[in-house]
Amino acid sequence: MASAHSRMNCGEFRTTYQQDTTIFPTPLARRTAIFSVIFLLVAPYFLNPYYLNLGIQIGYYGIAALGLNMVVGFTGQISLGHAAFFGFGAFASAWLNNTTGLPVFFCIPLAGAMTMALGLIVGIPAGRIKGLYLAIATLASQYILEDFFSRAEWFTGGSYGAMANPFSIFGFEFDNDQRYFYVVLFYVVVMFLLGTNLMRSRDGRAFVAVRDHYLSAEIMGINLTKYRILSFGISSLYAGIGGALFAHYLGFVSAEGFTIGLSIQFLGMIIIGGLGSVMGTLLGTAFMVLLPEVMEAGVGLIGGGSSSLIQALAYIREMAIGLAIILFLIFEPDGLAHRWRMIKAYWKLYPFSY
Amino acid sequence: MRKSIMLGSLLVASLAFAGGAFAADKIPVGHLACYTGPTSDVGGPFGNGVADALGYINKTGGINGKLLDYDTVDYSYNAPRAVATYKKWMSGLKPVAIQGWGTADTEALVKFIAKDKVPYFSASYSGHLTDPTGKSPKTKTPAPYNFFYGPSYSDTCRGLVQWAADDWKAKGSKGQPKFIHMGANHPYPNAPKAACAAYAEELGFKVLNPIVYSLKPADAKAQCLTLKDSGANYAYLGNTAGSNISLLNSCRTVGAKPQFLANVWGWDENSIQAAKEAGDGVAVFVGAPTWNDTKPPGMKTVREISKMSDPTGKTYRNLHYMRGICSTFYMKEAMLIADKKGEITGQSIKAAMETMVNFVPAGLEGVCSPSTWTSEDHRGTTSVGIYTSLYNGGDFQLNKQATIEVPRRPEWLGW
Repeated sequence: MASAHSRMNCGEFRTTYQQDTTIFPTPLARRTAIFSVIFLLVAPYFLNPYYLNLGIQIGYYGIAALGLNMVVGFTGQISLGHAAFFGFGAFASAWLNNTTGLPVFFCIPLAGAMTMALGLIVGIPAGRIKGLYLAIATLASQYILEDFFSRAEWFTGGSYGAMANPFSIFGFEFDNDQRYFYVVLFYVVVMFLLGTNLMRSRDGRAFVAVRDHYLSAEIMGINLTKYRILSFGISSLYAGIGGALFAHYLGFVSAEGFTIGLSIQFLGMIIIGGLGSVMGTLLGTAFMVLLPEVMEAGVGLIGGGSSSLIQALAYIREMAIGLAIILFLIFEPDGLAHRWRMIKAYWKLYPFSY
Repeated sequence: MRKSIMLGSLLVASLAFAGGAFAADKIPVGHLACYTGPTSDVGGPFGNGVADALGYINKTGGINGKLLDYDTVDYSYNAPRAVATYKKWMSGLKPVAIQGWGTADTEALVKFIAKDKVPYFSASYSGHLTDPTGKSPKTKTPAPYNFFYGPSYSDTCRGLVQWAADDWKAKGSKGQPKFIHMGANHPYPNAPKAACAAYAEELGFKVLNPIVYSLKPADAKAQCLTLKDSGANYAYLGNTAGSNISLLNSCRTVGAKPQFLANVWGWDENSIQAAKEAGDGVAVFVGAPTWNDTKPPGMKTVREISKMSDPTGKTYRNLHYMRGICSTFYMKEAMLIADKKGEITGQSIKAAMETMVNFVPAGLEGVCSPSTWTSEDHRGTTSVGIYTSLYNGGDFQLNKQATIEVPRRPEWLGW
């Protein structure tokens, strides 16, 4: 059957249940994904640290954004406190490493587990309410955690922040961008595969059922509270791992960084990328990370060294980010994932589209 | 559909520009500014000062004929973006020195710049950027390549407390004076909290429980009532100017009248004008002469520098602008010393900075305070000039009260 796809088909014919739930719908998609990973594996040898840095940012933000997409896009809940969980993961990993001396290699998944535990606790009240009330409850957790970060000196170093050591396994340090890129790439591949697989499982289908119609889901025997709480927990696991990767990359964690602004930015990533799309999450994150950089380069080119012009353009750049989000909401509410599917459809039929 | 494909290629093309190459025979310098974002009220004028000074250095012949190749990037007070910019520079521009801004990004970069040996002139005056060797027990990470112009936040607060103690005696007040720290629960207001409280206690103050008020301007009557009930005589304001204006207005309404003491970023000409009479009598550390003060000889140079972005010379520049110029000119002087000795590199600039003793950049006499850096102590200056402000119906005055020389105690290094 595999050879059927090597020809240009005018449609997808799925004859078994396995085919219907495969991660990559066509062999081409699978090969593209494998080749992109291979490309990224050799990328550190020829890309300069600036591009690697952007790749790393897309990686750690992308993992956290995927977590948020599970709550918002797949389970249909709302969370305004994602940045706080991201921050908790960052502090937890730094704290584990600094107090116990455990290698960072183990601290990152442990920090993810700690954040998941916290997410489950926060999810208990959040799992019983919905809509605007849930938005406010998650907002509360954002502020409570933010305040905790600046007060809990034993855990976060208080207002001074915490130092985070570079990623290491038994003495070998991943202390530059080339090396750290592989760490982030590993986590991105693992976490995204896990996420995709979760959505194909019984629990994943339950999430989608809760999102699509919670009453019908409940009648079908899905425990709403359980799945809402679970969704928050898994989302926090992703946020925690993303945050831990962020911490060991920057080397310094400050309570200043995990504000409501970052929470909104995470929401922006998944809205631009596409709610309920795993690949869209990555596209949206890439968009949000690259947009300011592209705008900055544009400002530099137009500004040409004049300080007053650069300053004026800086405001335009900030506005452009807001504008991009609004334009997406108007013209592409389904996000970049949808746009990507349309581009694929266009090329599939090229040049005889009708 | 075609549009989205075109947009995609445009995105890739412009990204390619972002990491583009720069000229090699010049002196590359990075400038990380905060024109947008939460601290832009004070970051704007400071960034303008740095940018104009860099332009002025080039206009007047650069460093012994070598021009500066500088790149100004606004990072919106976003630490990850600051790190991204730094990486971009290190792969393209390869700066030998950087002019930076806030607390979180400066601390995030401490290790990177130490590894890459790039001197970093921040506008964060946090006490733990002052220990280059890490000898002090208070230091978590040594900061060998960090420099800043002015007394640290801790030393400023110590100076203000010292002045408060003298003020208490001079007024002939009886009993034990009470001191209180006010500020948001954020790294920047908290930076001097413990250090300052310890010194206040040493001077005989009763240190009260700190009061938290928002870094964003908001009604603060509740906090002012707490302040009134506490009976504090001296209140240190740790926030930036915008939030202090609303706090002082609230406190005037509820009648809380301690002597307010403000940090260097917490009070300036704009806030005097905005707070009107509510701000009268605030004691503040002023790090430079005001724009209309033409007595110091260095102000002539400042006015020339200002013409870089304002040829008419009519724009009023506030105190942060002068401090931005000083920060840049110390770097310039270090480059001149380094150039005389050999090549201008990050290491030679650091070495040159550490030879400065009671040093004032040429042309800025009376504007920048004499500063000393050594290889073991990066507290440039510990001299705190204290002024009180008077609104005076719009024609405001800053009246000099005292200059406090805070002692350079070894145990205070890095704290």
